[in-house]
Amino acid sequence: MNQNEFVIITDSLKKNYKENGIEVKAVRGVNLKIKKREFSAIVGPSGSGKTTLLNLISGLDIPDDGKIWLNNKLLSEMSGKELSDFRRDHIGFIFQAYNLIPVLTVKENIEYIMLLQGVEKKERHKKVLNILREVGLEGMETRVPTKLSGGQQQRVAIARAMVSNPSLILADEPTANLDSKTSGELLNMMRRLNETTGMTFLFSTHDKMIMEKARRVITLKDGLIEKDEIKD
Amino acid sequence: MKLLLKLAWRNIFRNKRRTIIAGIAIGIGLTSLIYVDALFVGMKVSIIKEATASFLGQGQIHRDGYRETQEVDKTINDIDKLVNKLKNDNRIDKFTLRTFSLGMVNSPSNVRPMMLVGIDSEEEKYLSRIDDAILKGSFFKGNNQRDIIIGKKFAEILEVGVGDRIVITVSQAKTEEFSQEMFKVSGIFYFNNPEFDKGIAFIRINKAQKMLNIGNRAHEIALKFKNIDKKNIDKLSFWKEYSQDGNEALSWMKLLPQLKIVFEMTNLSIFIIGLILFAVIALVIINSLFMSIFERMFEFGVLKAVGTGAFNIAKLIILESSSLAILSIGMGIIGGFILTYIYSKTGIDYTGIEMMGVTIQNILYPVIQIRQFITYPIIVFFLTSIIGIYPAIYAAKMSPSEAMRKSL
Repeated sequence: MNQNEFVIITDSLKKNYKENGIEVKAVRGVNLKIKKREFSAIVGPSGSGKTTLLNLISGLDIPDDGKIWLNNKLLSEMSGKELSDFRRDHIGFIFQAYNLIPVLTVKENIEYIMLLQGVEKKERHKKVLNILREVGLEGMETRVPTKLSGGQQQRVAIARAMVSNPSLILADEPTANLDSKTSGELLNMMRRLNETTGMTFLFSTHDKMIMEKARRVITLKDGLIEKDEIKD
Repeated sequence: MKLLLKLAWRNIFRNKRRTIIAGIAIGIGLTSLIYVDALFVGMKVSIIKEATASFLGQGQIHRDGYRETQEVDKTINDIDKLVNKLKNDNRIDKFTLRTFSLGMVNSPSNVRPMMLVGIDSEEEKYLSRIDDAILKGSFFKGNNQRDIIIGKKFAEILEVGVGDRIVITVSQAKTEEFSQEMFKVSGIFYFNNPEFDKGIAFIRINKAQKMLNIGNRAHEIALKFKNIDKKNIDKLSFWKEYSQDGNEALSWMKLLPQLKIVFEMTNLSIFIIGLILFAVIALVIINSLFMSIFERMFEFGVLKAVGTGAFNIAKLIILESSSLAILSIGMGIIGGFILTYIYSKTGIDYTGIEMMGVTIQNILYPVIQIRQFITYPIIVFFLTSIIGIYPAIYAAKMSPSEAMRKSL
């Protein structure tokens, strides 16, 4: 098997953490391979380990055991700074509560990562305008997040995640705070972007709509993959 | 950096009330520091003025060893040569000759030891404030050689008033024979200084010289310069030039060494006050920054998740702390200027208070100096920024997942 065709490879991934003094086995040996350009969803009930798995994959959390390769790079071999730079350059994040920086405008929020990357002003401006057009927020660059609707904020979050062209987008319950119409619109948009840009999308969700739209649904239960269904 | 600066500046206004309260607290600290400094400078100026303008002068010349023994015999060497030299010295504004001798005074109802000072009534006016301190009578009007001026308390002890007669006895130089003369009280002064008011009497210098049998010689020359940097008076070459032929020339700083201690004490006081204020400021900043960090835990998690390095997170917090400092410094400078300016115009009444032998006789005016508005704000700025390091390290060390979990 060609390892280069995978964005994510996990091997016997395990993670325990303590909650109120009780040890919780959040992830209990997950073996997962996500191919490039996939549009996949990790589903499962609350406490099944979805968010923990996403945190491990993105390098936000360190596994107790097992290995993770992202774009063929072993995360455990990276230093804190390398990991931080790797996330900046290769992963886009979309969160449930949008988590835009409230004191920055739409444009500043989107270009934040590019500023960290040291992208030229002209280039940043061009990319921001392009991505705003893609997510349907043209002309809103000077607005602050608090003046936007939930759907618009999530569009900004999607734009922020995608603007620097990462190979992987990790979305943790991205539609949880949105109504079904807005969720549907956003999912269609993300699927279109997945097809046009080739970026890999991995969701963690309860949302049936995402499960329907996803081409692959991985079901987690008690920290283990219970089912891995690839649709035609 | 520009983005972080923008972010930091906007972040501090996310909770306006907290920022304003913290800013005011730091601002009040800075205002107090500026005011206290101005007050101490005013106090210093006032003490120096009182010390030098009341009687001492900005400097004095004596014969070597006179100050230690105060023997009548120890008059200034080559006084004529010295007087001529001083007259031709363009650094000197005014100078006056004085004699001193211990003696006894007899009034109809009392006998007291006293210090008899012979002064040049014309020149003395420029060097001391005896003429301004006259309560009753006058300051050597006319040409009566038997005029004597005494302090208010001394007059009360002797139970005499203007026009009454008293007898002064002193011992003459070399022979140590008694010399006794009768004087008429022509003026009563009040210096608000017990040493002066209780035990000193002033007569004309030529009369004193005659009584002491010292010819035209004197024990002291008090002098005043034209334009000098009072702080660096000790560095003048003058003192060396005039400390010759068995005489010694000393500045007021050397003559009143206790004042140096007072000034050192005031500097120490400012330092201690500053330390206390800065400790309070430090707590305010740390509290404010930590509250702000804990409120934004998830946000820091997100910032880290999207690739903001620990160094940039730390930089952001320090910039927030510095932004708060700039805001507070603005308030502190305005407050400090207004408060100090008002008091520098109205003054503070400390008259009658004695410090290290110098009685403050005038209203004390805080002195505004540019230094106060540069040094202290710079200290506050750097201190505030440095204090930000602790919360900055805390935020930088946070694991992103933990930060996001903690805030939930």
